[in-house]
Formats: sequence, C-alpha cells, structure tokens
Amino acid sequence: MNDIIDLLPKLLSEAGTTLWIVCASLFFGGIAGTLVGLALFLTRKGALFDQPVVQGVLNVVVNIFRPIPFIIFIAAIQPLSRIVIGTGIGDNAMIFAASIAATFGTSRIVEQNLVSISPGVIEAARAMGASRFRIVWSVIIPEALGPLILGYTFVFVALVDMAAVAGTIGGKGLGTFALQYGFKQFNPLVTWAAVIAIIIIVQLAQALGNLLARKVMRR
Amino acid sequence: MALIELRDVVKEYPSPKRGEPAMRAVDGVSIDIDAGDIFGIIGYSGAGKSTLVRLVNALEPVTSGSVSIDGTDITTLGESALRGVRQGIGMVFQQFNLFNSRTVAGNVEYPLVIAKTPRAERQRRVAELLEFVGLADKARAYPDQLSGGQKQRVGIARALATNPRILLADESTSALDPQTTADVLELLRRANEELGLTIIVITHEMDVVKTICSHVAVMERGRVVERGEVFDVFATPTTSAAKRFVSTIVQGVPADAELEELRRRHPGRLVTVSLADGSVPQAEIFRILGDAGLGVHVVYGGMNEIGGRSFGHLTLELAGSSTAVDAALLRIRDIAPVTDLGAAA
Repeated sequence: MNDIIDLLPKLLSEAGTTLWIVCASLFFGGIAGTLVGLALFLTRKGALFDQPVVQGVLNVVVNIFRPIPFIIFIAAIQPLSRIVIGTGIGDNAMIFAASIAATFGTSRIVEQNLVSISPGVIEAARAMGASRFRIVWSVIIPEALGPLILGYTFVFVALVDMAAVAGTIGGKGLGTFALQYGFKQFNPLVTWAAVIAIIIIVQLAQALGNLLARKVMRR
Repeated sequence: MALIELRDVVKEYPSPKRGEPAMRAVDGVSIDIDAGDIFGIIGYSGAGKSTLVRLVNALEPVTSGSVSIDGTDITTLGESALRGVRQGIGMVFQQFNLFNSRTVAGNVEYPLVIAKTPRAERQRRVAELLEFVGLADKARAYPDQLSGGQKQRVGIARALATNPRILLADESTSALDPQTTADVLELLRRANEELGLTIIVITHEMDVVKTICSHVAVMERGRVVERGEVFDVFATPTTSAAKRFVSTIVQGVPADAELEELRRRHPGRLVTVSLADGSVPQAEIFRILGDAGLGVHVVYGGMNEIGGRSFGHLTLELAGSSTAVDAALLRIRDIAPVTDLGAAA
C-alpha cells in the first residue's frame, strides 16, 4: 500500500503523459481523418465531387492500413517516423504512429456519419446556388456535428487503448507504468491503480463528449 | 418569348448494368411557361416530372435539348454562372429539406448569406418573410420542433428569400394532411399573386392542379402527353393518362366497376350528358326531357368549377318508351355530347 502512496506523483505524471499522447494524436489524426473521411464521402458516386476512381483508391488504402494490429503498426511505421520526425522511439514517435492509425480510424467514422445526412438537404443548398466548398463547411459538417463529436470521443477512447503500448518503442504513460512498476515487480495493486486512472480518463472523456454532442443536437 | 422554355429536352441516366441501354427519364419534352403562370406538371411516380424540374435549375445537366430562362440557354453555362441562375430560382421539396442545425431564422437567412446580402438587410428580410408565411413567433425554433405544415412554410420562406422570379415546388404538399395542404397551396397562390412569382408545381394529385394551377402538363414515361389550360384538360381530357388523373376528382362517364354498380341499382336506360362549357344551358336539356314525358333521375356525376368556369358530366336514368327516349336524345345531342350507356339486359 505504501508503494502506491510513494508512486502517486509518478502515477499522476504518467497519466499526464498518456493524456498528452492521446490529445496530440487525436488532434493530428482527427484533422487528417476528417479530411480523408470527407474525401471518402464527397467522391462517392453521385456525391458533390463525383470521383469514383479516387473513391476506390482511398477506400482500398484505408482498408489496407486500418486492420493492422496497432502493436505491429508501431514497428512497421518506425522507418517512416525516423524520416518524418527524426526519431523512431519515445513519446513523439508514439504520437506519430497513433496519429496515423487514428487518421484511418477517424476517416471511416466520419464517412459513416456523413452518409447519414439527408441528400435532400445538400440538394437544397445546391438549389440555392451555394458552392460545393461552402456546402461542405456550412451544411455537411454542421448537420453531422453531433454524431461527429461522438465519433471523436470514440477515437479518443481507442487512442487511450493504443497509447498503453507506448512502452514498446520506449514511450511512457500509464501502460508503461503499469507494466514496469506493477506487472514486472509483482505488484498488482500498482497495476490496478493504473487501470483505475485509465477508467477515470475514459469516463470523463465520454461524459464530455456526450455533453457536447447533446448540446449540439439539442436533446 | 416565354419566361421558361424547354426545347426537346432529354435526360438519360446510365444503366447500372454495363451494356444495357441508358434509362431515359425525360424523353423529348418541350414546354413554354409564361411569367406569372402557375404551371402544374402531373404524373405518377417515375413519370420523370421530378427529374424534369431539376433540369430547370440545372441541378441535373440535360443530356440534350435546351432550357432557356428569360432567353438565356442555361445548358451552356458553367458551374459558377449556374450558381447565379439558381439564386434566382427558389425550390421547395416534399421532405422540406430544412437544415436541422439551424434555427428557422437561420434557414431563411442561409440563401441570403450565399447571395452576399448585408447583415442588416438579411435580418430585415428574414423578419419580413417569416411574417409573410405566418411564423414570426417561430424564428428561434429549430425545424424538429415544428409540424409538417410549419416546416413547409419555412421551406417556402427560405425559397423566397432572395426574391426569385421562379419557384419550383417539387411535391411540396405530398407529405401533408388535407388541411395543411390547403394552407400551403394558399401560401403559394399568395406568392404568385402578391410577388408576381412564376411557379412550377410538380404533383401526382389532381386536386393540387385544380386548386392553384393555371396550366397543366400531364407526363407519362418521360413524355408530356397532354397539356393546356387547366379548365380545358379537366373538361375535355383526350389522352388516357389525363382521363385517369381527371377521374380521380371529377366523376365523368361511368365505366367498369362504377357502371356495374349503377346498373345494379338502376336497371333503366342510362345516358351521360357532358356539359363541357359553362354556357351549356342545363335547363334546356331538362326541358327537352320533360317535354318528351320522360322520368328523369340524376344517378351519378355532378358539376365542377375551375377558374370561374363550370363543367360536368351528369348520368341520368331515363324512364319512358325507347322511341321517346331516342327522340329526346337526338335533340339533346345537338347542344351537348351524350354517351348512351344503354339499359340493363
């Protein structure tokens, strides 16, 4: 029990590291994933930018990368990480890998939410003489905003999961903490302290996501 | 020159299956619509009427033919020029298509933002439009808090926001109950009379045509099979498609099941006298029948009024000797068309 009290400052700082990795990855992966998701939606046949070939290529690319198990993906993406951010290890390499993984995951979630918008609403905006780009930012995104927020919340939780394996490439955070101070030192209480910290983070994130989505959807 | 001129317009969609011929949704339609008309286009679903109306504001490009608005052939225009054309054409939809993320005022304001109207002017115009459609108190409400009729009135206010000269109403009352339909049609009529709007009304309900349209075109399988002033099409439909639509609200010459039902209850000689114009003297017809000493029962049909003119079909059971009946019918045929349905066998 004393171990836990001694390790509490460490636990809090590792929780901070996890949050940092998750938030940074959500930021980059969220933006990139939203753009890819919009592209997947807008290039569909009969959609605003009808480009079935582009759609097909994007679709295949997303399908190739999305199912790779994340722990393998981290290793596989390491050479690219060295080229782009100059390192293949540590928290930043972890953010790099998680951002890319989140891009593919987010893109599908965004696409799914946009497909559910009534095509009639987009047609109405076209009939008023709105340009296609204006329709994207002033109709499509606002109309889907509530479900999109829930989608980003889902990605946040998935990133908390991904960030737990940061230790594989020398990153820190609650996953590394739980293995190093709990599992490897035969101290299940410490492991469980990390589990509880993760549960709290996820609960708070989900509550915030639900609140925002409800506010946007007014129900 | 008409405000809207369609010439030999064809719209084809590629077949979903390779190698099969294209689906021809609109097949060589030519229509003139004058400024100030309320022009009805009626047809069953799949007749091509919704596709046709989308060619007028170029939401869909034509396959061939020309669409002229105020003398400009819009089929030759590029996307950015078309956006300008569309700002001058309002459109209302069956499913309303309101932006759920915006308030009622926000919905009405949206086309004004696109048209780069200054903010103060936008607010004045939104208030004016909501007043016009009777929803001034709902400005801050969201579409999901409104009834169907209210939603459509917002849709109309939104369509009128940029002061268009043309309004396209695509099945605008088909999702509404009869009373709400009447309210919305009345609103369209006011827009036509007070704002001088030219309206194209797409519908599958003849009642809508009868209530507000001045002209009508009947569509079947991508073609316009009959057109004209609403009174003429109602009083003397010539194609079977037009006759079917007219029969949905006008009791004409009884046929098939209706005739059988009449026969069961009225075994005597049945004739239908068609009064195709308001000037035909009904009294004259009844006087001839009376002079011949015949018993007369009106058993089916009635008179209809469209645009201040009346027409109708009266089916009569005549009691008397067949020579007397024949002689009377001969005299009536001089002044009105008669369909002799004969007597029960």
